[in-house]
Amino acid sequence: MADLATPSRATGPALHLGDVTYSYPTATTPALCDVSLNLSSGEFALLAGRSASGKSTLLCAACGLVPHFHGGEIVGRIEVAGIDAIAAGPGELAAVVGYVAQDPETQVVSTTVSAEIELPLEMRGDPPASRARAIEEVALALAIPHLLDRAVDTLSGGELQRVALAAALVTRPRLVLLDEPTSQLDPVAGDELIWLLRRLNEEWGVTVLLAEHRLERCLAAADRVIAMSAGAIAFDGAPGSFLTWAQGADSALETPAAKLFSLVGIEPLPVGVRAARETLASSGHRVEASRTPSSLNFFGREESAGRGRIAEKVQDVRGGSGSPSTAAIAVRDLWVEMRRGDDERRDVLRGIDLAVEKGKRVALMGRNGAGKSTLLRTLAGLTNAVRGKVELASGIALLTQNPGDYLVRERVGDELPGEPGTAALEIVGMAHALEADPRDLSGGERQRLALAIALAGRMDGDALPGLVALDEPTRGMDRARKEDLVGLISDLAERGAGLLVATHDVEFAAAFAERVVLLGDGVIIADGPAREVLSGGWYFATEVARVLDLPGVITPEQGAAALRQKPRTEH
Amino acid sequence: MRSPFAYIPRPRPLQLASPGAAVAYLGSLIVVAFLYSNPIVLLAVGLAVVIAGRLAGAHAAVRAALWMGLTLAALIVVVNALVVSRGETVLARLGEWPLFGQVDVTLEAILAGFVLGLRAAVVMVGFAVYSACVDPDRVLRALRPIAGRSALTATLVSRLVPVAAADAARLRDAARLRGPGAAPVGRAPLARRLLAGSLDRAVDVAATLELRGYSLEPHRPAAGATFSGSETSGKRCTRWVPGRRHQVIGRRRSRYDRRFYAVGLAVLVVAIVGKALGADAFSEYPATEIGTGAATLAVAALVALSGFAPWRRSARTHSALTKRRIASNSLPAGGGI
Repeated sequence: MADLATPSRATGPALHLGDVTYSYPTATTPALCDVSLNLSSGEFALLAGRSASGKSTLLCAACGLVPHFHGGEIVGRIEVAGIDAIAAGPGELAAVVGYVAQDPETQVVSTTVSAEIELPLEMRGDPPASRARAIEEVALALAIPHLLDRAVDTLSGGELQRVALAAALVTRPRLVLLDEPTSQLDPVAGDELIWLLRRLNEEWGVTVLLAEHRLERCLAAADRVIAMSAGAIAFDGAPGSFLTWAQGADSALETPAAKLFSLVGIEPLPVGVRAARETLASSGHRVEASRTPSSLNFFGREESAGRGRIAEKVQDVRGGSGSPSTAAIAVRDLWVEMRRGDDERRDVLRGIDLAVEKGKRVALMGRNGAGKSTLLRTLAGLTNAVRGKVELASGIALLTQNPGDYLVRERVGDELPGEPGTAALEIVGMAHALEADPRDLSGGERQRLALAIALAGRMDGDALPGLVALDEPTRGMDRARKEDLVGLISDLAERGAGLLVATHDVEFAAAFAERVVLLGDGVIIADGPAREVLSGGWYFATEVARVLDLPGVITPEQGAAALRQKPRTEH
Repeated sequence: MRSPFAYIPRPRPLQLASPGAAVAYLGSLIVVAFLYSNPIVLLAVGLAVVIAGRLAGAHAAVRAALWMGLTLAALIVVVNALVVSRGETVLARLGEWPLFGQVDVTLEAILAGFVLGLRAAVVMVGFAVYSACVDPDRVLRALRPIAGRSALTATLVSRLVPVAAADAARLRDAARLRGPGAAPVGRAPLARRLLAGSLDRAVDVAATLELRGYSLEPHRPAAGATFSGSETSGKRCTRWVPGRRHQVIGRRRSRYDRRFYAVGLAVLVVAIVGKALGADAFSEYPATEIGTGAATLAVAALVALSGFAPWRRSARTHSALTKRRIASNSLPAGGGI
């Protein structure tokens, strides 16, 4: 075995799977079917596929958790940097593999961030001097030096994810496995993470295998894409070829830019914004030069000369929100203070003014720690405000980030008894599952059931007069499930509910939202129609908006329409 | 919001002590609670753990555990009174009940239930003080030589309470967010869900621990590089001083260790000797007899006093003493003016 104190940089495949078939205990169908794969040292591979296609199981097999921790039956051979993973197990593989799982809350085993990052080095027996240096370096690389002294139970989901990633990277492993590492990160942190991985890959020769649903975020950084379907490898090749394959095989795996090109009939399909712009330019489609987003309602954090004009715009954007008959919720001058660490208190929300009208769909966006979840919790009465006023027209149904927390019984009908329960189940399209055990439902169905529990008894006939708030509902969802959720949101809005959805997913926001409210450090920094807010920016902008840079164009359909209208320039 | 049982590092003796010393001290009190049935001694153990918790700054943990423990104790008293009909002093004859048969509520059954409940409450407060005052990171590291091959065991010992506390907070929030038409969350389904969920998550955390290399053979730290860290656990250490002995988190010693080991040992010795001398005199049935002899009172007094082991001389007292010493040292020979 390689010296544990100095990670192996040997040549040869970083990961080899030979005819691996694996079934979880009590499962009737295998989670991996005859999977063969070679990942060379220094490769950056993207693992694509729908939910439950076997991506997470493949990553667990590569780090030894399958079968050592999960049990089950496995056939075939798995080697990681020359070590037999099936014989060795996760402990011995820890020297050469770093693994970041989907749920960051189960990936912290220490009480403070610095202790968490130090743990793998300490287990490996690294001397204290190198431990301190490694902690500093990985903290700087992931922009978390300010978190090092914090207790882990005071961190947000995004911060936890970065800490888990730091703990996985701190040993400088030869192979890094990541299972949707950006699912809880804001667009800025998500992009930074992908490019940090690319840098580690290029400079340190680290092999990266990254499972991700938001392909548009990482396709450009990848050397290779492996697509999985029903536990088997359905595609293995270059990113450009993958897009062509996805076009015919599974449109849910298409990126927005590729879909835009498909709609217009432009070839080749682009693997990123830069490639898309180059292709458009070479094919004679004129793309505007990048510009500062001046048309948006960006509100400064401080009082400024333009404040009066901005205030007018706020009023314009919020339209008739002042009318109590149309507002599902109205918030005025809301301040929330929270404890950070043991003694220090800070303002998490600072003077929020917000109204959501009945029947409107609003996306609440902003970077990690901006105050989105706190705002939703305050509206629902879980957190107390120190100042300000919340006026609710007819109650609020809040679905938090963990739908499983709402499910405490073993039969759906026991969770939602009587007429109000049946009505709520019908609204979310789950009336058929009355006798089911919630644990047997899929992730999307459990989410719908949890929403029904939050909605039960808040309806007025078929109408839903109050506010429905969802906190990061697309965590771990593939595009097909997101489309289902968009349908549900539209349905709830049609029934009269005001929808307020906190999300980091720009493409999802573009699909469902009429209006976007952007939070920054506890204040609203932008509030306007989705087509304006999600175009013209760098981070809080859709891929199509970044490609075309046309005001108000954020979806592939809008982009295709705009390209068809624009005259082509002659070469 | 943090759970009242979550560990918070504080510069207090119980938090600064090594996990072994803290466990020896708190464990000795819990052993006495199981060893004795005499309610005077049990009350003394309860008093000791409450004093220890408050001196360690774990006020919220003690309060929450007392509330939960006393609620459980009341439940045990009621159930015991209904289920056990032994005893000479019948307070009420409730007739024939389905499943229970003839139900006679006796004073002896109530007192026996009180003793059982008191023991449960004392143990709960003891564990709450442990959870709030003993650094789980250091426990995890201390367990490595013993449970290195079983990350799950280590996780259950060191992380189950924090994980369960975090889950409980989330489940409480979700219960408050249920619509008025949904079935209310009863205590039993919530407790079942909490236990199942916490165990599931503890298994996930154990998987992470495996991936961090917990089951690897422990390495001795290199001799050359050493560091000087503060005694407070979990602090970031970036100042490295050559020549001093390196101490990793799990092996860091505290000047309070000896005190806790000594008090823990003394409590055990007193309890065992007292038991041999009949300090645990107590019988529930047919008539309740509570021993109040000298041995019982002595054991109770010593056990209660052991609660002051986490006491730390305050800075004010310390500076006053120092000033007094300086003043006495600066007196001229002969002592008079």
